[in-house]
Amino acid sequence: MQKTLVMVLSLGLFHYAVAQQNFTMSGYISDGSNGEDLIGATVYIEEIQGGTVTNVYGFYSLTLPAGTYEVKYQYIGFQDQVRIIKLDKDLKLDIEMPVADQELEAVVVTAEAEDVNVSSIEMSTVELDVKTITKLPAFAGEVDIIKSIQLLPGVSTVGEGASGFNVRGGGVGQNLILLDEAPVYQSSHLFGFFSVFNPDAVKDVKLYKGGIPAKYGGRLSSILDIRMKEGNKKSYDVSGGVGTIFSRLAVEGPVVKDKASFIVAGRRSYIDVLAAPFTDLLDDGAGLFFYDLTAKANVDIDDKNRLFLSGYFGRDVFKFDANQGFDWGNQTATLRWNHLFSDRFFSNFTGFYSNYDYAFAFGENDLDKFEWRSRIKTYNFKPEFTYFLNASNEVTFGADVLLYEFLPAEAEGVSNGEVTNISLDKKQALEASVYLANDHKVTDKLSAQYGLRLSHFNYLGPGAVYSYGESTPGQRRPLIGIEQSEDWETIQTYTNLEPRLGFKFQLSPVSSLKASYNRMNQYIHLISNTAASLPIDVWQPSTNNISPQQGNQVALGYFRNFKGNMFETSAEVYYKWNENQVDYIDGADIFINSFLEGDLLSGRGRAYGLELYAKKSQGRLTGWISYTLGKSELRVNGINYLNDFTNRTGEWYPTRFDQRHNLTLTTNYQLNKRISLSSVFTYISGTPTTFPTDRMSIQGYVIPVLDNVRNNVRIPDYHRWDLSATIDNVWRGKTRRNGKVRSGSDYLVISIYNLYGRENPFAIYFSQGINRQPMNLPVETGATQTAILGTILPSVSYNFKF
Amino acid sequence: MKALRFILIFALFFGLVSCEKEIFPDLNQPFELVVIDAWLTDKPGPQQIFITRSQPYFENEFPEKVEGAIVQVISSDSVVYNFSENDSAYTWTAADSCSFVEVGQSYFLFVEVDGQQHSAFTTVGVVPEIDSVRYNFEEAIPNFIPEDHYLAEFYARDPEGLGNAYWIRGWKNGEPLSKPSEISIAFDAGGSPGAAVDGVQFIQPIRQSLNPFDQEEAGNLFNPPYLLGDSVYIEIHSISAEAFFFLTEVATQTNRAGGFAALFAQPVANVSSNIFNLDQNSTTKAVGYFNVAAVSSAGLRLSLTEAEDARDRFETRP
Repeated sequence: MQKTLVMVLSLGLFHYAVAQQNFTMSGYISDGSNGEDLIGATVYIEEIQGGTVTNVYGFYSLTLPAGTYEVKYQYIGFQDQVRIIKLDKDLKLDIEMPVADQELEAVVVTAEAEDVNVSSIEMSTVELDVKTITKLPAFAGEVDIIKSIQLLPGVSTVGEGASGFNVRGGGVGQNLILLDEAPVYQSSHLFGFFSVFNPDAVKDVKLYKGGIPAKYGGRLSSILDIRMKEGNKKSYDVSGGVGTIFSRLAVEGPVVKDKASFIVAGRRSYIDVLAAPFTDLLDDGAGLFFYDLTAKANVDIDDKNRLFLSGYFGRDVFKFDANQGFDWGNQTATLRWNHLFSDRFFSNFTGFYSNYDYAFAFGENDLDKFEWRSRIKTYNFKPEFTYFLNASNEVTFGADVLLYEFLPAEAEGVSNGEVTNISLDKKQALEASVYLANDHKVTDKLSAQYGLRLSHFNYLGPGAVYSYGESTPGQRRPLIGIEQSEDWETIQTYTNLEPRLGFKFQLSPVSSLKASYNRMNQYIHLISNTAASLPIDVWQPSTNNISPQQGNQVALGYFRNFKGNMFETSAEVYYKWNENQVDYIDGADIFINSFLEGDLLSGRGRAYGLELYAKKSQGRLTGWISYTLGKSELRVNGINYLNDFTNRTGEWYPTRFDQRHNLTLTTNYQLNKRISLSSVFTYISGTPTTFPTDRMSIQGYVIPVLDNVRNNVRIPDYHRWDLSATIDNVWRGKTRRNGKVRSGSDYLVISIYNLYGRENPFAIYFSQGINRQPMNLPVETGATQTAILGTILPSVSYNFKF
Repeated sequence: MKALRFILIFALFFGLVSCEKEIFPDLNQPFELVVIDAWLTDKPGPQQIFITRSQPYFENEFPEKVEGAIVQVISSDSVVYNFSENDSAYTWTAADSCSFVEVGQSYFLFVEVDGQQHSAFTTVGVVPEIDSVRYNFEEAIPNFIPEDHYLAEFYARDPEGLGNAYWIRGWKNGEPLSKPSEISIAFDAGGSPGAAVDGVQFIQPIRQSLNPFDQEEAGNLFNPPYLLGDSVYIEIHSISAEAFFFLTEVATQTNRAGGFAALFAQPVANVSSNIFNLDQNSTTKAVGYFNVAAVSSAGLRLSLTEAEDARDRFETRP
């Protein structure tokens, strides 16, 4: 198949080499109010019944035969711009889109409005508009990007407080989260209660669940591509807010008008600040807070060159006193340079640095203490090129080089003054990929996207290289040898070819059929054997003992819009089959363990499902309904082997995040000019768990006994209803008695989370409880159902801008 | 102890929003497996092996002894010790009240029950002497531990050389510290073989693992671990590396705090066992564990002198 792909690719490239006199129109499309580039804005040419969309930098390029064209520029929330263009030479056309009139009465339904969902070749993607999510009811009133994408089909979570998210039956560690191209390894504050992205600084959020373009790689399940705002190029803005948990402030503005701008946005939890006067607990350097800071600057050097520098710095701090506690955080820095080789040849060069680290420190004095710091550093260089060959072909190619440095433990224990270094060896790895892809409009009705990604992984020294022998499946593998490797010595390499394919067949102007296939390889693994992923979970490279995960996915979708695109609907089915999925022996020790590789198991995974989606984006009442029917399973020898005591061949079992039904209903009703009401209803089938059958007593401890099954029962279903009201101009923007209007604008969001206070189960566990039981009586054991948030949670946030 | 206060407050906060209820789900048919609970020591006095069956999980009864088993322990120098059946266990008593256990010696357990022959194997590891026991004075922690109190701590040095494992068992005023959260095990002087701490004093969390934190009911104040007049008794049992992993698994499977901690819980799973059916083709499985330990011990009553010493150290602490 790969040969065929290369042939098709070559054909696509050279088919149009001999063509008539062509000219190119190109340029940037931006928001007229603040100069922000618009990602995914449509450029529609009436005469060819087609066009293009802007890339992530707001750039578009179209090469057409000489002639006169009616060009329509469109973007949701903006007024359409129509230009009659005589294309007799190459043209540079930068467009500033005026914001659409917010008048409620004027709901204009145009014939060929925003139908990107149907007409574009992309499928299995999810996009979020930050303006929409600010109005949704939110946990503790804090707008949350990660939680918002969970309202869309195929995306879920194992429960409240659990960090990360699951895509189409994949694990939390199988999502690549990119913030301005740099990977963010931990997306949560306060375990999983809040996500680390400040909505004030985010411009665009796009999640790829399938049909993943060749330029992305490195994770099995999804790519979450988050783009930060560039900063207002026209005027200074200060915005911010006070919520239940965070207070926020963002400043943005031009450095040189229309040429260069910046944004700095910060958030910090402030409960400790409020509590400080009332408790001595926060003295002596103690603290309990989390914060993040996002900063970005950009400059248009000239017509052909633009430079972006962005950074993120976030941290969670739990300090008991000056020396004890724990903390974790991400830091990323990204430098990007957009260069136009010609108006048809766009390039971007990215270099980034990303660091995730956490630390523990315990011990009241220097004689007895324990300190542990773990980090993963990533350095990257990524050149990307797009060649806009003609109206029918857009070729992308590039490379992606990642250098990882894993420091799983820099740790030291001091016992009664004697120091023991328990650090684990540094590990290094190089992941390098090249890719080539083409977006090809084959006929008026048929479009194809095909590409290849070649990825190579090199596990490098220094440090000990362990060899393990065979064991009974599911049990700890015996260590049989240790060798020392030199710094940068190659220990193990893996090379894989990843084909990516997508097709769209336009059935009618309002409907299309799409299909895709992608193969992904994942060379680094999130090691986590708890109910929810934790900030202290370790990332582990593929080694001589751990093979890269490999995933395949096919998806088929039908897209149909109704009533002039007022209603968007889609139905997608997917099937995924994965190799080398990581699992753990019972009793695996995953923290500061030199012999971790001996505790890991490898198996196969599969997931399949149906996703239905319907959205109404115009009118007073807007919203969407999302339904996912899904299944996600693993098969690992040594787990779920039932009665096969001899070989312990594993049978398929549902993953922790296997959820049969997932339904969300999100609505927003614009009551009047100032007030809008939102509602979110979520229903999720109970997640799987395992029940014991027996109890046994050993040395007085009462221990559960199980059949050799895993996840054979379900906890009760989860459902929740949240409401919110957004009131605009409560103070700023309001007319004063003297008739003057206060400058700026503001809005108040009142949210009620878990309206009917359901005690949604997170887990069921079996135990003898934590209290001491009388010695002369039999130990009492029982089953307990636990809810992380079992109560109604109202909240208020006030937000302003001036 | 500031760390403890913080953790308690954190737990309290999440206790407000999280909630729990007892449920009685239907469970699958119980297996009622033979359970062999064989932890022998070199302590003087009778050695007991308990042979019972696993019970339905919600059956809150003492397990009944399986009758009519043949139970033998055979040392690597081929001496057979026959355990005889009595009321609650299978027991071996030395004629001269001496122990048969020797450090470095290996032992083979043989149990024949219901026509099935089960066995296990272990070697006795070394155990360090306990150098000292003392009490540390701590001030009251408002809202948690309402009065000034003492924490017990023992000192012992792990002998050099990797691979020694220990089970530290404690008693307060003669009552065993037997809550799942009180399982205290050490691998060399540290907490796990993968992060080896060798040949030094046991690390502080292990040295201070004999302090009970009890509340009468959830939400109540905690009782002080030790007050004047209380006593602590400590035994260090040498265990095999496999027994260390077994006890780690027991702690994971039994010590379930619930509530917010459910986020960090590992899934329920069977604990390991070193009991094997001698007939490899048999589908009848027994579970349980066999370990033979050398034991060192020490105890201390919190006398007025001890208390004064503890206060002095507290006053002059760096």
